[in-house]
Amino acid sequence: MRGSSKNIIPAIHLQIRDNVLQKSSLSGVAESRSSWAQGLDLPRQAEYVFFAACGYQHMRFVEGMTGALRYAGKMGVSLGQVRGITKVLGKAGADLASMTSRMMASKEDPYSPVLVSCISVLRKLGVEVGYLQEDEPCCGSPLYYAGFEKEFSELAGRNNEIFKKNGLKKIIGLVPGCTSALRNLYPRYVRDYDIEVEHVLQVIDRRLKQVGLKPRIQEETRAVYHDPCQLSRHLEITEEPRRILNSIEGLQMLELDPERSGRWSTCCGGGGLEGSHPELAERIGQRRIEELLATGASVILTNCPACQMQLKKAARKANSKAEVADIIQFLDQALT
Amino acid sequence: MIDPELEELKKEITEGVQRCWKCRMCVAMCPTYEGWFSQSAAGRLMAVNLFLKHGLGDLEDLSNLLYSCTTCRRCQSRCKALSTDCSPADLILKARKYLVKTAISQKGERP
Repeated sequence: MRGSSKNIIPAIHLQIRDNVLQKSSLSGVAESRSSWAQGLDLPRQAEYVFFAACGYQHMRFVEGMTGALRYAGKMGVSLGQVRGITKVLGKAGADLASMTSRMMASKEDPYSPVLVSCISVLRKLGVEVGYLQEDEPCCGSPLYYAGFEKEFSELAGRNNEIFKKNGLKKIIGLVPGCTSALRNLYPRYVRDYDIEVEHVLQVIDRRLKQVGLKPRIQEETRAVYHDPCQLSRHLEITEEPRRILNSIEGLQMLELDPERSGRWSTCCGGGGLEGSHPELAERIGQRRIEELLATGASVILTNCPACQMQLKKAARKANSKAEVADIIQFLDQALT
Repeated sequence: MIDPELEELKKEITEGVQRCWKCRMCVAMCPTYEGWFSQSAAGRLMAVNLFLKHGLGDLEDLSNLLYSCTTCRRCQSRCKALSTDCSPADLILKARKYLVKTAISQKGERP
């Protein structure tokens, strides 16, 4: 029994903390680490090191788990109880994470191909990156946002040791939350942190101009861009994705009300809410998808695994045929 | 028993809340806002302040309010654009830190 403390911190945050600290990943599924990079021949060391992060690799497991937890909630089983059950199962040698991974293995995974696309786009633009493979740690940003500051700061210190051992100088990040943690939070919590962190959209934006490639898509498409919170307000990247998208021939970019895009974009309802307040998260997602669909776009582009999941769910719920896609995957198809 | 770290954190939070102008410009900015003041940054900060300063409300309700924030920072952008130095989103994270510390000190162990 954990007594009164169990109702103060939502069970999902306690679960995620355990996953990050014990399994070094968001979902607790350990076996999938670095498997996306098979056959890509990424060196361990390079001038720029790509930080793949948990987000895209684990989002389908998170999707499965939040789905299962919601289902349990409908049957009157609370998240805390589910967590208690999984702890008992864990003692018997089975855990929620590995069960989910087996359950989800056969389902299609729209998230991790984004990582492959990212490497592909960078290669087309002449940027070769390294990758830490199995040694890549979880950045720990969910700990920070859930209030586990001490754990976050200790993890950041340990991660810095790993970065130093591997001679990391420059990181290219993809998942907005991790990139913002590595760029904005680590310097505040790690004493001798001197790693330069850039988001991949900044690199792509710069290289597109230098290389002079002209991305083009076959079919005329009307699309709208959804700014992920971590990208637009935590990292302040709003111009780069728009410049990249506007450079794609055949793509017509629709703009939202300026009070609801860019710096002022509204939230998709992700950010941990899908686990702790699932109904609220769903309502926020519905409100956002209505704004996006009102532009008349047939494709909604974003660049965050959590936004992608939330918007996809909301679009399905709204019976919309609009496709939710990642900006980098879209660009990969446009660059031939 | 008084925990000096916890007292310092309480002071940081309540002093931070003092910097809020109570202009409520952040209220309609909040993606969780559905008509209740407590579904906004200013409302959450007011609840934390009332709890820490006057012992009003209980920890469970406070936790529900604080963990229903998406940390999207839309409130903070609005606040910054009005050139205040309140940083409501950062204060909400500080208050979550307070909840974690309280949960630990109540149990005398990690929650």
